Amino acid sequence: MPEALKSTGTVGSQQSAPTKLSIENLNVRFGSVTALSDVSLDISDGEFVCILGASGCGKSTLFNVVSGLLKATSGKIVLDGHDVSSRPGQVGYMLQKDLMLPWRTVLGNITLAASLTRGATTRDRAEAAELASRYGLGDFLNHYPHALSGGMRQRVAMMRTIAAGRQVMLLDEPFGALDAQTRLGMQQWLLQLWRDLKRTVLFVTHDVDEAIYLADRIVVMTPRPGRIAEILTVDLPRPRPLEVLTTDIFVGLKRQIMQHLYH
Amino acid sequence: MNTRFGAAAGPFLIWVVAMVLILVTWQVLVWVSGLPAYVIPPPAQAFQTLFDNWPRLSVLTGQTLYETAIGYVIGALIGFVLALAMGQIRVVQRLVMPALIISQAVPIVAIAAPLVIIFGFGLMPKLIIVAWIVFFPVVVNVLDGLASVDRDMLNLARLMGGGSLRTFAIVKLPACIGPLFSGLKIGATYAVTGAVIGEWTASSKQGLGTYLLTANAQMNTAGVYAAMLLLTVIGVGSFLLVFGLEVLMTPWRSRSTAPAWAQWKPAQASVAA
Repeated sequence: MPEALKSTGTVGSQQSAPTKLSIENLNVRFGSVTALSDVSLDISDGEFVCILGASGCGKSTLFNVVSGLLKATSGKIVLDGHDVSSRPGQVGYMLQKDLMLPWRTVLGNITLAASLTRGATTRDRAEAAELASRYGLGDFLNHYPHALSGGMRQRVAMMRTIAAGRQVMLLDEPFGALDAQTRLGMQQWLLQLWRDLKRTVLFVTHDVDEAIYLADRIVVMTPRPGRIAEILTVDLPRPRPLEVLTTDIFVGLKRQIMQHLYH
Repeated sequence: MNTRFGAAAGPFLIWVVAMVLILVTWQVLVWVSGLPAYVIPPPAQAFQTLFDNWPRLSVLTGQTLYETAIGYVIGALIGFVLALAMGQIRVVQRLVMPALIISQAVPIVAIAAPLVIIFGFGLMPKLIIVAWIVFFPVVVNVLDGLASVDRDMLNLARLMGGGSLRTFAIVKLPACIGPLFSGLKIGATYAVTGAVIGEWTASSKQGLGTYLLTANAQMNTAGVYAAMLLLTVIGVGSFLLVFGLEVLMTPWRSRSTAPAWAQWKPAQASVAA
């Protein structure tokens, strides 16, 4: 296998960026079942990391721990040098389900975090409208979610996550329910957002192509117990046109990952 | 313009057609059965009696409507508050639910007797009977609404830093509005039945229910039918009123964009800035 593609952990443009989020020696057990076994990962500021693995590998458990929804059996989560273990609300979070509130308009859903914490102000709404307009939702601000397609609703959910203002965003298979074409459009849209806004993204997927196309680094996880099998650096230049999907580097990475997932 | 008028007139026209159909069926039954008017009066005779006795009937209608409306509002409020309490506190739900089911299993007529013994022949037993009938569908539907809120949605609200009060007001409470109206609509058609039963068993004051009994005893069949017509109007009117309120209060169910008053317009931003 192409040794050159194997990660040494520090290759790539993130070398100089400071560590944003540290996952340190995480263990999660549910009774006698070990969901996560000694998971450690450092994520740089502004990095795009994909977590890849089959179902049951503990991806969602990992996300629930990082978000603070779930308490780990041992280990800790460090954000900007502070221990944030079991402290919910430190990172943004988005799921495959769009979780729109049907009685709120697109704009009302985007400003949800402000409404939930202190009440959305005119300024919040204006900023959210500006952000949404810049990324193609300008004509739908006053629409109810049911009037939008699945892809558009996921865009709104993404805007809502961004408007919540957290520097680190956890995206748990956000495009998993979309058809292949819509998904490709959404991936490009997300990369544009990420480039503009310089957030740190942790992205869970079980789609190998999606992981390679989006990520700076790919964390391959294997199940029973959920653990990190390998971390690969994706040395594809950015911005990434669709043509990268057929390059040798892309295909080589894919082969390497498939061996981990399906051997 | 034409199509919009048509869309608005559609439901109205259907109501008119449906009512005409009912009256025609009624008239045909009278003809086909060949029964005398003191057994089945033709619609025209029932309406004639209604108009001839309007001064008296209007007062009785007012009384029955009053009992129905007040009892309905009390029942709906109790049902709504009870459901919210049950939804928020699991122990309350476990404890209260069996009592609620038992309350509806007891025949409503059987409840009237003890109510009269306790409260006498006043307004109170009638209100309680109406409220008794109305609150149950409200409780059941609002509980369903609360239970329908996605766990992940509540997690998301928590991760966004939402306190329990704001999360309740923004995420949970609006999820109950649709189901609440489902319960209110069922209650609206039952409420007038409750008022009539209340008048039959627990009333010294004249209403349409008591008039119905008297007319029946006097073989005044047209009078019975006139009272029936008025009771039906109260029932259908209540339903339509609640339905109209529902359409106004749940715009997201019938529209793809927010109504004008709720729309965000960029101008607002520059005014505030």
